[in-house]
Amino acid sequence: MQPFAMQVWDLFLMQMTNWRWSWRGALLTSMIAPLLSMVAFKAFANDDPLALRYILTGNIVFSLLFGTSDKIATNFAYMRATGMLDFFASMPLSRVALILASAAAFLLMTLPTMVVILIMGTLILDLPLVVNGWVVLVVPLIGFSLCGLGAVIGTLRLPMPEVGSLSALVNFLLLFLGPVMLPPERISPALRAVGYFSPSTYAASALRNTLFQHGDPIALWVDVIVLAGVMVGFLWWSARRMDWRQV
Amino acid sequence: MPVYEIEHLTKIYKGRSTPANDDLSFTVEQGEIFGLLGDNGAGKTTLVRQMVNLLTPTSGTIRLFGKPLNDSAMYTPLQIGYMPQSSNALNMLTVAETFYFAAHLRGLSRNDAQRERDRLIDLLHLGDSRDMVVPRLSGGQKRMVLLGTTLAAMRPVLILDEPTNDLSPQNRRLVWELLRRINQEQGTTIILVTHNAIEAEKIIQRVGIMSRGKMIALGQPGRLKGELNEQLRLEVIFAPDSPPEFPQTPHKIAPGRWQLLIDRTDAPTYLDIINRTPSIEDFQLSTATLEDLYLHLADNGG
Repeated sequence: MQPFAMQVWDLFLMQMTNWRWSWRGALLTSMIAPLLSMVAFKAFANDDPLALRYILTGNIVFSLLFGTSDKIATNFAYMRATGMLDFFASMPLSRVALILASAAAFLLMTLPTMVVILIMGTLILDLPLVVNGWVVLVVPLIGFSLCGLGAVIGTLRLPMPEVGSLSALVNFLLLFLGPVMLPPERISPALRAVGYFSPSTYAASALRNTLFQHGDPIALWVDVIVLAGVMVGFLWWSARRMDWRQV
Repeated sequence: MPVYEIEHLTKIYKGRSTPANDDLSFTVEQGEIFGLLGDNGAGKTTLVRQMVNLLTPTSGTIRLFGKPLNDSAMYTPLQIGYMPQSSNALNMLTVAETFYFAAHLRGLSRNDAQRERDRLIDLLHLGDSRDMVVPRLSGGQKRMVLLGTTLAAMRPVLILDEPTNDLSPQNRRLVWELLRRINQEQGTTIILVTHNAIEAEKIIQRVGIMSRGKMIALGQPGRLKGELNEQLRLEVIFAPDSPPEFPQTPHKIAPGRWQLLIDRTDAPTYLDIINRTPSIEDFQLSTATLEDLYLHLADNGG
C-alpha cells in the first residue's frame, strides 16, 4: 500500500491527466459567471469602495466554491454512476486521499480563473490591490474548506441531475446567506446573523484582508482558523459519512 | 485455510421484499478456480460485490483468509483484484497510464509499476492501443484494459465479473488461457462470474450455480453433470421462426438456433427427424455442458 501522500499525488496526477482533453472549455465556462456577476453588481455599488471590495472578493469566493466543492460533487456523482468509484473503492486507497486529490486538481484548474477575475475585477471595479503574502494560504484553504461537503453530496444515492441541483443550491445559499457579495449594512440583520455560521463569510473576509490595504490581522487569523476548522470538520465527516460502501 | 468462508449470507436491497442473496453458505478454497453461474438477476453480482466489501450484507458473515470483511476497509483491497462488470469504470487515461497508475496505487514502486505496465500491455496484446485514451477503445479492448488493471500488481485472489463480455473469440481464448496459467503458475485463487458457461467450463474447478438468489448446486462440474449422464445436448440451426417438430419442444437460444437435452437412447429418433427435415441447416450433438446443467436445474426449481 502506498503512503497517504503518495496516494494523494497519484490520484491528483490521474485527475490532471484526465483533464488534458477538456481543460480549455472548463476554464472558459468557469470565468463567465463571476465576470458577468461583477459587471451586474457594480451598478448597485454606487462606486462605494467597500461594496466594490465585497463584489470582487465575493466573486472570487463564488469561483473557488464552484471550482472545488460543486465540481467535486458532480465528479463524485459521475464516478458513482459509471462505476469508477467502485474501482477506486476496490483499490488500497483512503477516501480522504481521493477527496483531497480531487480538490487539489479542481483548485489548480480554478486558479487561472481566479487570477483573471482578480485582474479584470480591479479594472472593471477600479480597485487598487495590495496583495498580502497570506493569500498563498488563504486561497487553498477556501478551495479545500468545502471539498468534504462536495464529496458527501456527490455520493448521496441521488440521480446525477439532482446531485447537481442540490450542490448548486448549497453553494448559492452559502454565497447569499451572509455578507459575502454585499457589505453587512446592505443585508438584513437576519442574514447577517446567519452569515456568522457560513464558511463563505470567513472566506470572503479572509480575501478582503489579504487583497487590499488596511487588512485586519486579527480578523485574518480568525478567518484562517475558521476555514481550517471547517475543512478538517467536513473531511472528517465525509470520511465517516461518504457512501463508499453501499448499504 | 479457505480463502472465503461465507455463512448464511442474505442481502435484501432497501425497498424490496425478495432477497437478492438468500441464506448463502459456501467456501472457496485456496488456489482453486471457482465459477459462479446463473441467469441475469440470479444474484451473482450482488454476491461478489459483498465479497469485495463494496456492498454491506443484510445478515450473515463473510471471512477472507479467516478475517471478517467489515473489520478493516483496507484489508480487502490488499488481498483482492476485482474486475467489475462495467467497463465504464475507467478514466480518460491512455492504456499505458491506466496500467501504470493501477500498479503504482497497489503499492509497486515507480520503476516496478512501469515494468508492470509494459508486461500487461504485452500479455494482453494491447501494444497498438498503448497510447490511446481508454474511452475511445472498442468495447472488447476496454474489457481487456479493465482486466489488465485487475491483474496489475497481482493479488492472491482475483474476482472477475463477466471477464469475457464483449470480447472477440480470439481474445476470449486468450483470457481463459491466461487465467489458467496464472492459477497454475502462481496459485492465485480465481472467482469467476460468467454467463459463458461452455467456455468457462474448460478452466473452472468448482462451480456454484445460482438461481433467484439461492445456490441451487455446488461442486465439481464433472460430478454435478453426473446428473445429466444419460442425456445429450442437441443444437439445431433451423431457419423458420417456429421450432422443428421434435417429440420434445426445444428452447430457442438465438434467432434460428434451438437447443434441447435428449436421452441417449432417443438419439436415433432425433437424427432420423433431422435427416427428414431439409430446413434444418445444421446440427450438433454433444455431451451435456454446465450450461445444460444450469438450465436443467433452473427448470426443475433447483
